[in-house]
Amino acid sequence: MRTYTVQRVPSVSGRVRTGATLLSCLASVLAAGLLLALLGLHPAALGLQVLHQSLANRYGLEDLALLAAPLAMCGLSVSLMLRVGLWNIGADGQFFVGAAGAAWIGLYGPSWSTLPMLALMGAASMTAGAAWIAVPALARLILGTSEIITTLLLNFVARLGIDWLVTGPWRDRASSVTAQSPRLPVAIPKLPRDWHLGGMHWGLAVVLALACVLALAFRFTRWGYELRICGANRNAASYAGMAVNRRLLEAMLLAGAVAGLGGMLELAGTVHRLQSGLSNGYGYVGIIVAVLAASSPLGVVVTGVLMALVLNAGTVLQTQGVPSSAAVALVGLILLSAAVGERLANYRLQRIPPAPRPGQAA
Amino acid sequence: MARTELLIRPLVQLSGITKSFYGVRANQSVDFSLAGGEIHALLGENGAGKSTLMNVLTGLYQPDSGCIAIEGHARRIDSPAAAIEAGIGMVHQHFKLVSAFTVAENIHLGWNETPFRAPAALLEARTAALSRRFGLAVRPSARVGEISAGEQQRVEILRVLARGARILILDEPTAVLTPPEVAILFAALRAFRAQGNAVILISHKLGEVLEIADRVTVMRAGRSIETCAAQGASRASLARLIMGDTSLPPMQESGRAVADDAAVRIELRGVTVRDHRGIALLDNVDLQVRAGEVLGVAGVAGNGQRALSEILTGNLRPDSGTVLLDGQAVAHPTPRRFARHGIGHIPEDRLRTALAADLSLAENAVLREYDRSPVARGPLFVPGRARALAVRIIDDAQLDRRDPSLPARNLSGGNQQRLVAQREARIADRVLVAAYPTRGLDIGAVASLHAAMHRLCARGIGVVLISEEIEELLDHADRIAVLFAGRIAGILPASDAESERLGLLMSGQALVPDAPDRDPGRAA
Repeated sequence: MRTYTVQRVPSVSGRVRTGATLLSCLASVLAAGLLLALLGLHPAALGLQVLHQSLANRYGLEDLALLAAPLAMCGLSVSLMLRVGLWNIGADGQFFVGAAGAAWIGLYGPSWSTLPMLALMGAASMTAGAAWIAVPALARLILGTSEIITTLLLNFVARLGIDWLVTGPWRDRASSVTAQSPRLPVAIPKLPRDWHLGGMHWGLAVVLALACVLALAFRFTRWGYELRICGANRNAASYAGMAVNRRLLEAMLLAGAVAGLGGMLELAGTVHRLQSGLSNGYGYVGIIVAVLAASSPLGVVVTGVLMALVLNAGTVLQTQGVPSSAAVALVGLILLSAAVGERLANYRLQRIPPAPRPGQAA
Repeated sequence: MARTELLIRPLVQLSGITKSFYGVRANQSVDFSLAGGEIHALLGENGAGKSTLMNVLTGLYQPDSGCIAIEGHARRIDSPAAAIEAGIGMVHQHFKLVSAFTVAENIHLGWNETPFRAPAALLEARTAALSRRFGLAVRPSARVGEISAGEQQRVEILRVLARGARILILDEPTAVLTPPEVAILFAALRAFRAQGNAVILISHKLGEVLEIADRVTVMRAGRSIETCAAQGASRASLARLIMGDTSLPPMQESGRAVADDAAVRIELRGVTVRDHRGIALLDNVDLQVRAGEVLGVAGVAGNGQRALSEILTGNLRPDSGTVLLDGQAVAHPTPRRFARHGIGHIPEDRLRTALAADLSLAENAVLREYDRSPVARGPLFVPGRARALAVRIIDDAQLDRRDPSLPARNLSGGNQQRLVAQREARIADRVLVAAYPTRGLDIGAVASLHAAMHRLCARGIGVVLISEEIEELLDHADRIAVLFAGRIAGILPASDAESERLGLLMSGQALVPDAPDRDPGRAA
């Protein structure tokens, strides 16, 4: 008779961990397929349709890139704070506030030519995002208030503030739509048409460049090493003479700035008007993006695209009579199974040798 | 104390236990038997396979081959629950208690005999009854985070005994105890043995082993080398068995009189440190660390050692008084300032303070040198060079796991300590402050650590050795300062210090007469 037991191994390699994450994503997609089959649909055909519509033509790729960019920006923001062991649940709010800062410059600022204007809007959005997280950051460092709660709650404040702006002082009085600002005079230029990304704008390049810069900074600077130590053991960091609070503050402000810049890219590249539907929960999905990527900046780009694919699938499924919230459910399922998979990666199945007959041992 | 008469049928018999991890044989055909009514010491160097063997016995690991018999009957122990059912309980070196819970709640946590309705008063009454029954004094309503290490250990033991354990495994139980607490523990173990139960004691302290154990089993490189009666064994004979052919480095001269004109590296003048409640952790301390000396700091744990080591390394700022580095007063002490000045620090709690357990050995090894050449180039961090430096530190520290990308948590406690000691010795150009540096180390590692300490001294580096073991201080220190209740109770040259005199100073009885209002009991 063969018997097996489950054993825990204290640590696993990064490769095993990545494999576990991929398997978990696959498992949740299969589970979603099973549910669709139970609804009487053909999951394989639907899956192919999703892949075809998203990847096989330029409009699908454009949609994917348009959605992946803000997700990746929020993912980068969350992963910056995960580096130092803190949770940024407020990327959504910082995204909105960053967009508002950019819109303010765009609507009421100087009328310069496109590039300097975009640079100024970018700076404004980053300042606004950093300022938005400054309060939770200082509360965390001075009073020890949980940043999870404060950053989350500020999301609602940000969203309601945007609602007020676009229905009140910044409302577009020339249009019949009651809840949006006038169209911005400047927009981020589109990528060249022969790049097969359709109407995607140069914001995508900003996202990729930022991911690369962060990846290099994390790995090849003393600052990156200090963030890593601060995230792993703050006592050890201060014992080694690092300015722990300063590093935490830098990581948090930078996270706010990155999410804010994400808002500006979305505003000036895609939506062109400030409106309360600017972020479709990007900040929250960004948490999943960062967790799935194990807070690696380059990984965030990959998981950002993956999540965009999942959310796009929702649109495709909607045409087949499946509610659009199915995609959100799938996102949740992926996070759940990734969390489970990460734990399970620590376990191995092991055979137990057959027990000797009684008396043999004595 | 050894007993010649042992029961014929052993309580526990491990036969031919083999266990490999990724190709490394942690246990190789190990036989081990434990008789009822004995205290059996399990000795061996760090990484000799003691922990693996005990993890097999307590159901955490499954052996690749071999079998376990309890009272003569083969038994499969495939989970910790099965081990408890078989009457086996283990108290780990690092306690596994919930510090926000009371003693009574910890005792009843995850216990199938805990009543369904469990008001605090009932749990506390049950705990008090258990405490009386097993002769282990605990305060049922106290929160675990607020009691001493000794009492936490009694809670752990009580937890195990309450679940009906007849076989008690203790991993380095005295490492965190003060001498009076050790006496209490040993009395309880003897009472437990007298009822026909058995104890497996993992320890590196041979003196204690000879004092309490009946039999001794020595492991080396995954095999059990010998089992013998404790009576008739000596420290020397056990040390030979544990070390095998490798010889200990020769012991250094201690108690050298350091010239009075030797440069003073660190000086404390009237340093007082208070905790957040305003209680003085260090009270008006004057102390000089001179170049080329080993300054021993004796004292029962909790008399200001942690504050002293943190003051000496810039981790704490004095509330009043002055810290001088090479004669220069330091206005704003920071750890970075002290490290840059060449002061190394082996803190007492390595996992909490000195290592990032989830990060790799490489990342941990360069913690002190990441900001200087060759690892740093301006603001840049060069991973290749960090790795090369880490490999060197790992080699010099003689770790048993050499892969620099392995997480530090995979090292055994002793190897973690070696890594920290090696790393700190490298930056200690002026002074090395070592708090309990030999805690958890085996004899070989202890000897090489002491040898490294003396090598630093020979290079003119001052060493501060904080220890609870008078013997270690007498053997290795040149001067011994005794801490009691945050004050320096006296500083003696090691050559004319005697254990009795030190003992009196440590207990506060020979305290200088200007502090008559201190309650000596508070420190213990």
